Amino acid sequence: VKQEETEQREEKLARLKARVQELRRQRDELRAKVDLQQKGQLGKAGVVSDAAQPSAQAVLEWKIKSVKAMLQVFYLTGISGKLTKQGVCFCISTAYEGTYLDSYYLDLLTKPEVRIHRHSVPTFIPLEQIAKKHLETDIRRFLSVLADHLNAYVGRRHQADQLQEHFSDQIEGTLQRNSLCNLLVFNYNLSSRSKTFPFNARLLYGDLCCSLPTEVTVSCT
Amino acid sequence: MDETVAEYIRRTVLKIPRDEIKTMLQKWGFLSEMQLQTVNFHQLKENISQDVVQLCEENSADIKQAAVLDIIYNHIYPNKRMWSVYQMNKTGEEIEFFDFTDFKKKFKRRLRSALKNVTINFREYEDNAIWIRIAWGTPYTKPNQYKTSYVVYHSQTPYVFLSASVLRSNLPLLCQALVVASNYHDIREVELRSHSLNSLKDIVFKRYSQNFQTYCPRPLSERKVAPESADVRIIQENRNEKERIQRVNREVFGDGPQPKLEFAQYKLETMFKSDPKMDVMYKKEPFRCLVKFSSPHLLESLKSLAPVGMADAPLSPLLTCIPHKARNYFKIREKKGFFPESFVSP
Repeated sequence: VKQEETEQREEKLARLKARVQELRRQRDELRAKVDLQQKGQLGKAGVVSDAAQPSAQAVLEWKIKSVKAMLQVFYLTGISGKLTKQGVCFCISTAYEGTYLDSYYLDLLTKPEVRIHRHSVPTFIPLEQIAKKHLETDIRRFLSVLADHLNAYVGRRHQADQLQEHFSDQIEGTLQRNSLCNLLVFNYNLSSRSKTFPFNARLLYGDLCCSLPTEVTVSCT
Repeated sequence: MDETVAEYIRRTVLKIPRDEIKTMLQKWGFLSEMQLQTVNFHQLKENISQDVVQLCEENSADIKQAAVLDIIYNHIYPNKRMWSVYQMNKTGEEIEFFDFTDFKKKFKRRLRSALKNVTINFREYEDNAIWIRIAWGTPYTKPNQYKTSYVVYHSQTPYVFLSASVLRSNLPLLCQALVVASNYHDIREVELRSHSLNSLKDIVFKRYSQNFQTYCPRPLSERKVAPESADVRIIQENRNEKERIQRVNREVFGDGPQPKLEFAQYKLETMFKSDPKMDVMYKKEPFRCLVKFSSPHLLESLKSLAPVGMADAPLSPLLTCIPHKARNYFKIREKKGFFPESFVSP
């Protein structure tokens, strides 16, 4: 029995010695790291530094930059969001053929069920209808349908604005439009062989998710 | 030209500030540029109006043209009238195309079928706003051009802005005509009133600056930054608290200008809470009182309450919910929290 006890004590001693070695090794490693960091800081003051080891500040700056870039990418996809205390706030950014247009916000609550708290969507967009259909069942679908409506609306509005701006000399009188820009009526003149013909165009946009007309009537008045 | 028309034009011109008269007449377009050149716009307004009436005589103005001048005046100076907001409802889900010609036809037909003696004028503006001017008569008298109602309607929206005349008896008729013309089912008054038409529009169309949490906020340079005090010896003792107040205020009110409302009215029907030993109200019934906040610009003054130290931040949600709930008349009853608001019809 005495032999067993001695053996155990020796084993324990060996283990503790190994532990001490390990801890010393770690301490030396950390010391080396600290030295290098300090050298790196000095390096910024003008002394030639070890370029392979970036300082903590530079690493942090790089991280912030890449996160910002990621958020910008999300924003450019057209639908981005941020978690809030009570839910999530979505931002739908619209564009038409390379021109960035308005952004619209939706502040959603998630408890007890998903519902809209505040928003900046125009009143003529059928938000309540879309929400009733999709908000509680499939939020992705809800956002997608709403984004389609908004993008199509700004697309139609942009086209109507461009028409008024660039062809104002050819349009007779005013361009008749409405809030959703889904009905455009205007008169214009076409000249051919020194005679001018008055025309009337009526563009109907039957699909609110589309920025192209579904029905066009052109008549010679 | 009719004597009444002449007088009406004269009085309308007298309302316009002298420096604006020429521009407004040009907008009107009834008098030619050559005719306008003959008027001396630097003389007394009395004389200007007489000259203008003379020119209108030459062009044989009728009441319809005079009404257009009135619309133009009210469009440029809408804040002289008190506007109320009405909301329409419909159950259908059909896509509305909103044809302006169709709207006008239906509106006039509906109104005239009930009351023949009305003058109705429409004017459409760039921002899709339709202005309707109605001068009311009775079944036996001609329309009184000085008793007018104004309606402003943006197509394909459920909101109507009304500046009613004194004759409230014509209101149901007007509402009916609006509902029919715009293809809705019913209409009710919303508890929101102000002199500033644009602010009412901002509130219901959600055009005012709400502060949404986003990862891509507007650059800091756009926000007003309080200037650092130049003297280093001045230390802000309450800097943390001041910053907290600014932050909370910004979260609630947003960064931009607030819509302009003149008052908020709270009708309280709550129980008087006192020490039971004092036994003030032996009758256990609600203590009725009316609290009214007035200001030339109510929301801006509420926004500045906490920063100047007159109130704690965050402010009571009863005050801060005004633009969000789109109302400035509230009825507060006893149980279950703050907002059992019902719609009070006047």
